[in-house]
Amino acid sequence: MNFEWIQIPYSLLTLFIVINYGLLLNAFIAKIAARIGRRHGIHLFQNHIDLIKNYSLRTSITHGVMFYLGPVFRLGGGVGLLLFVPTLYGSEMFSNLSFSGDLILALYFVFFGALGMALGAGESGHPHAAIGVSRGLSQMTTAELPFALAVFSVSLQYQTLSITEIVSLQQGGFLNWTLFTNPLAVAAAMLSFLGSMMRPPFDVVLAPQEIPIGPPTEYHSSYLAMMQTNRTIFPIAKIVIYMNLFFGGAASWPVFFLKVFLIYMVSVFVGVVFPRFRVEQSIRWFLIYAVPLGILSILWV
Amino acid sequence: MVSPLVLLGTPLGMAFLLGMLQNRWRFASYGITLLTMTCMSLFSADWVLGFASGSLVATDFSTAGAPPPFAISLRMSLTEASLILLVNLAGLFSTLYLKEELLRIGRRGMAVLLIDIMALCGIILTRDIFNLFVFFELVVISTGGLVLLSDDQRAPSAGFKYLIVSQLISVLLLIGIIFAYHSTGTLNIDGMAAASLGLLKGGALAFFLILIAVISELKPFPANGWALDIYESAHPAFSAIFSAAASSAALFAVAKLLPMGGESWLPVVSSIGLVSFLAANLFALCQENDRRLLGYSSIAQTGLVLVVIGQQDILGERYLFIAGGILLAHAVAKAGLYWLSGLLSNRHLTAWTVLRQSPLLLFAFISFIALLVGLPPFPGFYAKWELVHLLAQEGRLAILGLVLLGALVEAGYLFRWFGKVVKRSDGGEEAAVFSVAPIKTLVVFAAVAGGWSLGYLWGQLSLFDNILHTIPVLFALGFLLLERFPVWLKNSLAIVGLVSYYLISYPAYDPMQLIFGTVILIGGGVILLASYSVSGRRMGFYPSAMLMFAGLSLLIEAKDSFHFFVAWELLTIGSYFLILRGKQSEPHALSYLVFSLGGAFLILAGFALAAEGVELFPLSSLSQVTADKAPWVFILLAVGFMTKTASVGLHIWLPGAHAEAETDVSPMVSGILLKAGLYGLVVLLLGMGKQQLYGVELTHVMLWIGALSALLGNLMAVFQEDAKRLLAYSSIGQMGYALFGLALMNHLGWLMALMFVINHYIYKSMLFLSVGGVAKRTGTRLMYQMGGLITLMPLSFIAVLIGIIAVSGVPPLSGFGGRWIFYNAILTAEYRLPIILIFLAGPIAFLYLFRLIHTLFLGQLKDEHRQIKEAPFWLIVPQMIFVACLMAFALVPGVALRRFDLYLNQFFPQGGLNWEGVSITSQFGYWSPVSIMVVVMVIFASLLGWLIFVNRKAQKVKQFNMVFAAERPYRPETTHFAWNFFAPYKKALGFLIQPLATRFWGMVMDLLHTSADLTRRFYTGNGQTYAIHLLAFVVVVYLFSMGSL
Repeated sequence: MNFEWIQIPYSLLTLFIVINYGLLLNAFIAKIAARIGRRHGIHLFQNHIDLIKNYSLRTSITHGVMFYLGPVFRLGGGVGLLLFVPTLYGSEMFSNLSFSGDLILALYFVFFGALGMALGAGESGHPHAAIGVSRGLSQMTTAELPFALAVFSVSLQYQTLSITEIVSLQQGGFLNWTLFTNPLAVAAAMLSFLGSMMRPPFDVVLAPQEIPIGPPTEYHSSYLAMMQTNRTIFPIAKIVIYMNLFFGGAASWPVFFLKVFLIYMVSVFVGVVFPRFRVEQSIRWFLIYAVPLGILSILWV
Repeated sequence: MVSPLVLLGTPLGMAFLLGMLQNRWRFASYGITLLTMTCMSLFSADWVLGFASGSLVATDFSTAGAPPPFAISLRMSLTEASLILLVNLAGLFSTLYLKEELLRIGRRGMAVLLIDIMALCGIILTRDIFNLFVFFELVVISTGGLVLLSDDQRAPSAGFKYLIVSQLISVLLLIGIIFAYHSTGTLNIDGMAAASLGLLKGGALAFFLILIAVISELKPFPANGWALDIYESAHPAFSAIFSAAASSAALFAVAKLLPMGGESWLPVVSSIGLVSFLAANLFALCQENDRRLLGYSSIAQTGLVLVVIGQQDILGERYLFIAGGILLAHAVAKAGLYWLSGLLSNRHLTAWTVLRQSPLLLFAFISFIALLVGLPPFPGFYAKWELVHLLAQEGRLAILGLVLLGALVEAGYLFRWFGKVVKRSDGGEEAAVFSVAPIKTLVVFAAVAGGWSLGYLWGQLSLFDNILHTIPVLFALGFLLLERFPVWLKNSLAIVGLVSYYLISYPAYDPMQLIFGTVILIGGGVILLASYSVSGRRMGFYPSAMLMFAGLSLLIEAKDSFHFFVAWELLTIGSYFLILRGKQSEPHALSYLVFSLGGAFLILAGFALAAEGVELFPLSSLSQVTADKAPWVFILLAVGFMTKTASVGLHIWLPGAHAEAETDVSPMVSGILLKAGLYGLVVLLLGMGKQQLYGVELTHVMLWIGALSALLGNLMAVFQEDAKRLLAYSSIGQMGYALFGLALMNHLGWLMALMFVINHYIYKSMLFLSVGGVAKRTGTRLMYQMGGLITLMPLSFIAVLIGIIAVSGVPPLSGFGGRWIFYNAILTAEYRLPIILIFLAGPIAFLYLFRLIHTLFLGQLKDEHRQIKEAPFWLIVPQMIFVACLMAFALVPGVALRRFDLYLNQFFPQGGLNWEGVSITSQFGYWSPVSIMVVVMVIFASLLGWLIFVNRKAQKVKQFNMVFAAERPYRPETTHFAWNFFAPYKKALGFLIQPLATRFWGMVMDLLHTSADLTRRFYTGNGQTYAIHLLAFVVVVYLFSMGSL
């Protein structure tokens, strides 16, 4: 796989589709939640409107260079993660920039945005931002562990680290999906997935319902808009990896939309049912329930 | 040549002459004494030279014109000549040293001194057993007299106790002689040996009595309370004679008598020696009085020589070299230390801090300690090397282990003392008086010169190279002469030295050595740039640092176990001195040294076991060690090396040592020194490969140790409040990764380990320098006391930022390459479980790294730091070089790794990488560093451009200008979230970092000290008790030896 200039517009197209899909998806999920509560809910394009509004606001201040760069790191992380992974299987057009590296690149690039964001938030000087980072990093160490084990299990299973190859080996009927050929790994990964989606019971990092806490505390206007953009892209980029590794990937956009929606809904369902964990509780939860599954999966492969 | 009879007669005659002089002719008397001592020394030196040049052969001199058994005969050979030279020199220098006291006491004291020296020579020369008894009696009487020279009020009582015990000893000796004469009909020692005294009826008992009496003169444990009291209370110049000369003479007497009893008595001698060596060293642990400590140490050293004498059956022609090396080193060092103690008036160990006023005396002190401990280049080192090898060859492993254990304890208390001397405050008004009488100082320096000459001599006599002929060592020692020059000059010279040595040596390096060599020599040069920030002379820094670098560079060049071990010891000692320089580093430097020497002794034992009698054991022969020994050799060496890489369990020395070291020392000992352990492991694993012990694969165990170190090192780093300690713990984790990579025993595992060598050097050095610079400016290392320094110290911030991105393995920097190789490596690993620990350890690095950068540079700036400037220029320079290196290494890792990858093919042909253009592929995946860098940069730049476009009028607002929980913040201190940063994490996983290892080693230390403290109460100070000790000792040895014979 080599670089050609045409991949740049193609990649931008992927980005465009994913942003729009993500905005709609988030609005749709919010609407479902509202309807369950017998409320009307937001407009389907409310997220688009909010984003445009925030980008247009001009009352911005900054706390320093890192503060300024924080959202750039964050969104760069999301965009990079999306583009380092092929979106559609078998499509030259939507294989994006995956020539740069394999699964391991995607796995580690997840941290690029998180780290930069944390640094930016740190410079805001706001203690709540730092507390959020402390909680987020703490939870991440164990939440990511089952996923890492599952990835290891899957690469052992397919004897490759190339995402495209992993998808190609799952073709030919849904029974070939990793979900069925290596259920333990998928179970471990899906539990880990819950931890990375910032939804209950693992959302104490941002604690969105109470006082604002976490990295966004001091961010506003276009900074916040960039972070919102990332919140749209990043979960989808992550889900794409899950989809490719465990659920046979997607060969067309409709399948893509469907699978992403369904995988996303797992975390939504769990979040609606369970109350929030404290950080130490979630660390223990991952270690007790998710990690053993991951260990079994690598021993079983 | 002067006849031995004259040698004995001259002092005797002069002593009589002194008796006839008038009391007031003090100076004349002193002149006569001095002249006699000088002549005696010259005469004996003449003999030594004669024997050394080979022009003389060992000769027996008969007295009274008849051969033995009708008259007494004296023997003169190289051994006797060297020993009487030692005795006479000790006498001569002590006479010089005692000038004031002797003039005060007058001619009688001088006569007694002459008699003492003469009698000691007699013990050495005589071949007649009754004559031996007579000389021993003379020594007893003169010793009793000389003890009284001291001003100490306890001296008379000590002398009296000595006399009581000596009478007991004399009785035993005399009865033994009577029985022996009865059995053999001769008094000549050789005659008795020829008659096989030990085998005759009643002869064994006779020999036992003789032997035990002479051994008792060596003050063996436990029959030595009286001797300790003498050491403690006598005049130091006399203690010097007592320790250096009297012990040597008595030891020689034991060696001389042993053939009478036959070989079956050797184990008895060895056992007594071993027990003395261990017990005396143990008791010395809790001594606070300098002379008593030296007394214990003397007893221990004598015990060690006794062990060597007991092992003579296997030492062959190296017997004299080994025994002589230990004995002479001990004699010179002990005499020197006693003389040194005479310069101080306070007897507490910490009183020696006044030595700091004179760098030369401090140098003398450390030279003596190195002599005693047997560090290279001193004779004890060569002697111990050969002793251990011969013991291992003959399978006497228990003795080997105990000797090394005793030596470790000895090194522990001696270096603890040195640490106190260098680091403790000098006690204010209680400061000891420090008399620098020129003549006394000269005597001390004579001992120093003697010690170093012996080191040179033993190097020449050894079967291997002379350490003092190695260029790097000479270069390092050369800095001792430059101590008076300013830092900038010495620093430039040091850098030039390192770089030139690299330029000379690198063409001969293989790719493996090249990587380590570059990190050590070029890397060392870069770190030394930071040392320009120090002004003044910086006494002691350059010899130590260069000694460490000498050791490191010799290590990677070593082809055989001897040179490897020499290098290992050199780098350990050099780095110990370096670490000791830190303000609070006294206990940490000591724990570093004890662990390092413990590790070194394991390595020594491992090599000795592997060598199996091969004189110069090539490292490449590690692969040919026989199957029954191989796993044990593997374990000994591996544990030794893992002490240096601070693997978990053996790690407790590292955090303190690295954190408390000076700003430019921390990166050296962390970024470079730790690699020595890895290099050792590389050599070991390449040589021995996988080994199994009772079905357990040892590399598998190492895999677990590596993974555990990675996990626990990282976890412990998370909970540190001290920035340098955080970095230090992180090193434990990083070394765990590297160990893990090596233990994988596959191509990519090794590549990863080597990548860690380079990466860890760069980023850990950089981080230590940045944090050091910040600590220098803020005056604290506690992270919660800092904060918001980003705008004041931007360059330091950039270094830390780049550093933590690289450490954490986030693309696009070079840490990611390490992670990518790691994943590819574990896909072919045989064992999967330890990998889980590594997976868990990975993200934990983010925790402590974020904490580091956040609490230092981000968050709220404290009021007292508002005027702070960027770190000193010379601290920033190397950091910026490191930043450039990290960027370059991230883009083109192939420059460093490609050759090494090819080189690994000969060891692990499977699973190499393909280097095509800018992308790298393995059998599982691919990675293109340049593409990643470009993509990330482009995305980043585009987004930044976009943000700047929409947000161009952003207004800078101070950190404090914000609102939280609906209130204004009160003070920066209450607003900076930094202390106990990961509290919830501690709740969840804190249980994993129980300080088990610290507790375990603490318990071992407590146990040693408590048992030493309990058993030393056994020395009550009561003369009758001491006499009972002696009798009990005799009875116990009798029962044991008769039982075993």
